[in-house]
Amino acid sequence: MTDLEREFERTIREEISRRRLLRRGAAGALSFSALAYLAACGSETGGGADTSPEAKAIPKGKVSDSLYFANWPLYIEEDRGTLKDFEKEYGTKVKYVEEINDNNEFFGKVRQQYAQGDSGGRDIHVVTDWMAGRMIRLGYVQKFDKSQLPNATQNLIPRLESPPFDKNRDFSMPWQSGFTGIVYRKDEVKREPKSVDDLFDPDYKGKVTMLTEMRDTVSVVAASMGFDPETASLDEFMQAVDKIGEAAESGQIRAFTGNEYTKDITKGDSVVIIGWSGDAVQLEADNPNIKFVAPESGVHLWTDNMQIPVGAPHAFTAEKMIDFVYRPEVQADITEYVNYICPVEGVQEILTMRDPSIGQNQLIFPDEQTLSNAFIMRQVKPDEERELDEAFQQVIGA
Amino acid sequence: MEASTATAPTPTREARGGARERTAGRLLDAGLNGYAALALLYLLAPIAVILVFSFNDPRGRFNFIWQDFSLDAWTDPFGVPGIGDALGKSVEIAGLSTLAATCLGTITALALVRYEFRGRAPINFFIFIPLATPEVVLGAALLSMFLNFQVGPGFGTILIAHIMFNLSFVVVTVRSRLIGFDRSLEEAAQDLGATPWQTFRLVTLPLIMPGVVAAALLAFALSIDDFVITYFNAGSVVTFPIFIWGAARVAVPPEIYVIASMIFLFTLAVMLLTVWQQRRAERMAAVRPEPEAV
Amino acid sequence: MAARIRKAGLPYLLLLPGLGWLAIFFAIPLGYMLFESLKQGTVDTGFVFNWEFSNYANAISAFSKQFVRSFEYAGLATLFALVIGYPLAYVIAFRGGRWRNALLLAVIVPFFVTYLIRTLSWETILSDTGLVSDTLRSIGIMADDGRLLDTTVSVVAGITYNFLPFMILPLYASLERIDPRMLEAGYDLYGRRRDVFLHITLPLSMPGVVAGTLLTFIPAAGDFINAELLGGPNQTMIGNVIQSRYLELADYPTAAALSFILMALMLAVVVIWARIAGTEALLGTERRER
Repeated sequence: MTDLEREFERTIREEISRRRLLRRGAAGALSFSALAYLAACGSETGGGADTSPEAKAIPKGKVSDSLYFANWPLYIEEDRGTLKDFEKEYGTKVKYVEEINDNNEFFGKVRQQYAQGDSGGRDIHVVTDWMAGRMIRLGYVQKFDKSQLPNATQNLIPRLESPPFDKNRDFSMPWQSGFTGIVYRKDEVKREPKSVDDLFDPDYKGKVTMLTEMRDTVSVVAASMGFDPETASLDEFMQAVDKIGEAAESGQIRAFTGNEYTKDITKGDSVVIIGWSGDAVQLEADNPNIKFVAPESGVHLWTDNMQIPVGAPHAFTAEKMIDFVYRPEVQADITEYVNYICPVEGVQEILTMRDPSIGQNQLIFPDEQTLSNAFIMRQVKPDEERELDEAFQQVIGA
Repeated sequence: MEASTATAPTPTREARGGARERTAGRLLDAGLNGYAALALLYLLAPIAVILVFSFNDPRGRFNFIWQDFSLDAWTDPFGVPGIGDALGKSVEIAGLSTLAATCLGTITALALVRYEFRGRAPINFFIFIPLATPEVVLGAALLSMFLNFQVGPGFGTILIAHIMFNLSFVVVTVRSRLIGFDRSLEEAAQDLGATPWQTFRLVTLPLIMPGVVAAALLAFALSIDDFVITYFNAGSVVTFPIFIWGAARVAVPPEIYVIASMIFLFTLAVMLLTVWQQRRAERMAAVRPEPEAV
Repeated sequence: MAARIRKAGLPYLLLLPGLGWLAIFFAIPLGYMLFESLKQGTVDTGFVFNWEFSNYANAISAFSKQFVRSFEYAGLATLFALVIGYPLAYVIAFRGGRWRNALLLAVIVPFFVTYLIRTLSWETILSDTGLVSDTLRSIGIMADDGRLLDTTVSVVAGITYNFLPFMILPLYASLERIDPRMLEAGYDLYGRRRDVFLHITLPLSMPGVVAGTLLTFIPAAGDFINAELLGGPNQTMIGNVIQSRYLELADYPTAAALSFILMALMLAVVVIWARIAGTEALLGTERRER
């Protein structure tokens, strides 16, 4: 053995000696305390945007030459025609980033920046109702100047005009809406699963999936238990969570998914699931056996909303974009591709001319009757939300 | 993976054990080879699936079951918006971080192996710790620090993160190479009057090059494939793995499989090329007379 | 005198860039995370530093199931990787001959395809209606209403697959280094292949086994992608929990505490394993005979 090797052996043996570990530990603790002092300087306050009713709206400005639009995937035409048209009219190059896959994930990603009043360059983000509500509550979004949104104010469908989290639509504007209901394989089920109870039918054990989106899953199940998600108490929601938890543990529910449920049901790994209406339309095109059905006890109507985050560098231009997509002829292209519920009036007529079946589609242009069976889950208070989230996360295993 | 100049002897010693030992030996051989073949098949199975599905022609958005054969995806693999950019970003980040990590890591490894100094043992251990830390922890901790210092996550932060985790891999890889290193050549060079820097540049560096290259390749592969740490620190930047994570939730267009197949075929080609090069070099060395030993 | 000082300072100078990088971008972030783990609060009320050691206790008791499961899955995956990888590495090292490098290629190149895509294609392969499931059902191993996906089987299979090269490469490296003369001597001594293997090959390949098992077990224990894509609610691992705490629930103190606990457990595993296997094997300091 050479000296070098002997030395190396000795050092390695010493490495693991307890004394060294302790000494290092002490030194470490000291430096960590120093860091703790440093880090105490960082604060965790609200985003700084004023979201009270008397807040000041976005001031008028000039249209910028660039815009950062953050959205969910597959929520705009594949060829980005709308964005190109916007550029033609306003000269603005739109950076469209499909970086939002999950409300909570997105929130986790941007939270600290938004809290410091920094949007990370984003001018528009699109989040679901309850997250939009949270953004407003925490002061992470800016108030619209309604005079810049004539189309939006005029063409928004009445059902969505005054949601509980933003009564005047001052801080959010729907991008697309959708139904959460039951998606199933016609060729694999014994009968049309009109009731949520079918998902708990032991005949379908191991062939059922539900959504990781807590509000979708819990509200639909709660409705089937006789509670009204628009007014239910925390306790009633928790009962729904318990029921779901039992099913998860017993293996009745095979998985909790985001959009991936589309994969399972296409392959036939699942046969009756909780899913979203827009996906169902697309899935049916691939496989006519896949159908969407609104549960008898009620279908959940949700909306993904455009908001302008605090610190957005091109807020005025963002308003222009928001208003732009509320022109019926612009929205028609988007709805035709996306196949979710269109929030803009006047589009149904345009699309019916192109393809009558789209115009009749209850999942894109729901009529009064369909809408009357739909509920919007009520806003839960922060501490209720925490309890529900915590319980639900336990159920899905995390 | 250097080619060994000596091959293990094919055991002919079973002859000693008698006929039963011989057949048992042959069965064992066959069994072993069969087992290895199965293992290889297992390794390549998903690749086969990827290749096959890249030729799929899905009617809708989802590429989950086989429908029709089509070359469409192959003719325009970057047709899906964002996929080309994402791939480009990943390659860029991988290249830069590999360069930085390899340089920094090699120097560090040299210092750790060649010199005796106080604190060497704890430093050795410290460099090892990132390898034992789960990616989730690394990614989240980095983000936490960046935001505390008001550094917005983005390209720069991804790069920093990649250099960080690649550094440990490079050090460990190069270090294990250096340990068995024969220093007599260096000593000879110094005896002949070379300065330490000359010795390093003309003797050491070429000799450790295979180890450094191996480390660089490892770093590149790790960087281009990294998801977790990148995800936490990417801000709005979309790298290829992040693109796939987002896409996989909604639809997996055949174009993704095409690109994956292309990556696979490309690296296969590169490695086959190096193997062929190596064979050529060996063959030429066999033909050329051996240089006289000093 | 100046030369001696310069010489003494040289290693530290060389170490400065690399160590500095790690100190700033590894040690300090961990410090912040430690700080975070002792806070209390929520996103709405703000987080307050409170020496909240209870975060650790709560984390352990609330998620002991997932901790245990992670170690189980990682352990199983490591075992399977060893069982699958050792013979393969052996064949390549000793039977490879001129095909040796090509075979190694065959082992490594699949892993240049993105991790996520590889795992996704397992979803296709293991589908309820796929070839593998049908075959298993027809030969009776699997019940008619059984499935492969969203079970422990698929998750462990996925983890095993994804970390296989981390097992095979170190195994190969140490097997390849075995001096053939040792083997010859072994045959002279023992005569039977089994004895040669047990007394010579296996012990000499131990550094590879140790390195391989560590390089497989550690990342496997912290993984969450396989559990997320191939598993259901009863297969979640501690990595899933940490991700959920950070990104879904914004419960940073618990997430940070969990991260530290995981890290500590991993280091404990490394230290214990190093003790058992002998310290030279840990860092691969086996020597080449000159």
